[in-house]
Amino acid sequence: MSHHNAQLNDKILNAPNKILLMGNPNVGKSIFFTELTGIHAMSSNYAGSTVSFAQGKISLNGEEYTLIDVPGTYSLSEPTSEAEEIAVRFAKSGAAAIICVLDASNLERNLHLAMDLRKYKTPLIYVLNLMDVAERKGIVVNSKILEKELGAPVIEAVATKKQGLDCIKGHLENIVKNQTGCPANHCDKCYKCHVNQMDEYGDTWRASKEICRKTCFKVDAKPSFLDKLGDAMVKPWPGVLLALLVMAAAIGVIVFGGRGVRFPLLMLVNDVIAPFFRDFFTSFVPEGMFLNILVGEFGIFVIAFEWILALIFPYVLMFYVAFTFLEDTGFLPRMGVLFDNVMRKMGMQGGSLIHMMMGYGCAVPAIIGTRSATTRKERLVISAAICFAIPCISQLGALMSLTAGYSWWMMPALLLFSLVLFIVVAMIASKFIKGKVDPLLIEVPNVLIPSPRAYGRKLLSRMRHFLKDAQGPMMIAILFAALLAESGILAVIADAAQPIVSGWLGLPAEAVTALILGIVRREMSVAPLLALDLTSLQAFVGGAVALMYIPCLSAFAILAKEFKAKTAIIITLSTVAVAIFIGGVINHLGRLLGA
Amino acid sequence: MTTKSAGVINLYAAKKESVFEIASLPGIGLLENLGLRVGTKVIVKGRYAFGGPVLLKVENAFMVAVGKDIATQIAVKEVACYESPQCPIK
Repeated sequence: MSHHNAQLNDKILNAPNKILLMGNPNVGKSIFFTELTGIHAMSSNYAGSTVSFAQGKISLNGEEYTLIDVPGTYSLSEPTSEAEEIAVRFAKSGAAAIICVLDASNLERNLHLAMDLRKYKTPLIYVLNLMDVAERKGIVVNSKILEKELGAPVIEAVATKKQGLDCIKGHLENIVKNQTGCPANHCDKCYKCHVNQMDEYGDTWRASKEICRKTCFKVDAKPSFLDKLGDAMVKPWPGVLLALLVMAAAIGVIVFGGRGVRFPLLMLVNDVIAPFFRDFFTSFVPEGMFLNILVGEFGIFVIAFEWILALIFPYVLMFYVAFTFLEDTGFLPRMGVLFDNVMRKMGMQGGSLIHMMMGYGCAVPAIIGTRSATTRKERLVISAAICFAIPCISQLGALMSLTAGYSWWMMPALLLFSLVLFIVVAMIASKFIKGKVDPLLIEVPNVLIPSPRAYGRKLLSRMRHFLKDAQGPMMIAILFAALLAESGILAVIADAAQPIVSGWLGLPAEAVTALILGIVRREMSVAPLLALDLTSLQAFVGGAVALMYIPCLSAFAILAKEFKAKTAIIITLSTVAVAIFIGGVINHLGRLLGA
Repeated sequence: MTTKSAGVINLYAAKKESVFEIASLPGIGLLENLGLRVGTKVIVKGRYAFGGPVLLKVENAFMVAVGKDIATQIAVKEVACYESPQCPIK
């Protein structure tokens, strides 16, 4: 959906009828956004999953308003990341109302922002979310007293269970109805007058402590299983062991689950989809080259479905089945804490591990996600390392298909290679890029069981995006490749690239197709190799080159947008040079060793 | 509240499972935004080997991991009242 990750511009900032959803990071704003607008916003259980903002329509009293899911922020006086700067600009832009979401299990710190927001003289509604987690931890919040203290409505809610939604909408309608004017210029009841009477608190920290003392009560509660698990997962022992087990389980789900899903899908493609198009096109297209391009052995309507649906989609699906679960539980920031020491040695910090994990799904959200980083250097180092060394799951799926015909160690070897490459690139990048990487400073969220509703919706949205983004370009690329081949241009290019592709890399001349198509999407730098009958060494070289090669068109575009066009060009050209250089070295070493 | 000042040390050297009060800290915006200020009470829940971070429970409410390079710049003093029922953060 085009509403996501919209660029911040004056048009949105100055738009009338804006309603802002604000709050600390990771308090559930995006879930409220999804429930109120019906538009899916990505949410996860760690600070900074909304680093840009999403906007959607909400109808109040029959009028249309724009609800904006503002990135989470701890404070408005001192933004500490690009994501927080966006939040401040929104708060200043003058909205019809602000919905401030508060974490009931962590009220004191949340109140700091809650009171900070009053200085913008905008009608406020406070939503006390995560009431269930507060209860689990034995925290009782008296929302009636809180309402008096804050001087604005306070609504108790559990976003994942849809509790409190109607109430929020009702209050919003009330606010906007009363906004147009007040008959008496000074009354106690209407929001407009109320806002004008709001006074700012001097020291909001002291005030939050004071309010919290009046409204929060701690009752004795035995630590729940989830809280104990959360603690165990972040302690060095048994945390590291648990993390490794979870990772192993996730890889198992992806590899074996992927294989399981692949089988029926392959049948679907071979027995239903391909014959359907074959019958359809043969009915009116005469035999010959054109028909061949459409439905021949490597025809668009055959191979594009086979590659995307049967070879790659199963792995993409299983990756997000595992990843979506993990990011909602609170596992990822704990990994960041556990392995901060290792990351620190490589010139990064533990928090970047979250972006690296996202990169295994797709480089684009991973690079956008680095906005939550506190320095530009950190953003650049991790983005560069992702572009060079982290294969996205589409490409991993293609690599698994490529290596399936060879010995079992080829895939682990490729992954090990990518990990080593990641470390080397990160170390080199952090040496040469000016600036510094801030040490780790991260909130460790409560462990949550993902709500099946939110989980299913997120997974579905991701799969829709993948199929939409992958199927079309794949068909166009295959058409393009077919035209290149049939017109004889491919032969000319292959001839020209012969010294590099065959001489240096030791691959068949036709492998040049992979290098051409790989510019568009990462899996296409692998897919054409599937049809080439390669030796083990050639398959490994081809896989390794694909892994390092150009980070796909979308990633290029996002690099140019988030940094500079120059940065995107430098990174892309270096990936090509490094891919070809190292690929050739592996080829020659392999030959020397007699592989 | 009975606070027995036991000398000021840096957070990275602070004993696990004891209560400390922050005496001074570097001017890092995110620290303050996370609620770590002079006077904030923290418990060290874990420390990670090989230059890893310190894991803190802040005001008995939420957990924050602080990288070693920041933790060594934070001065804390022990607050000896955790065992007493009047402990402010218990």
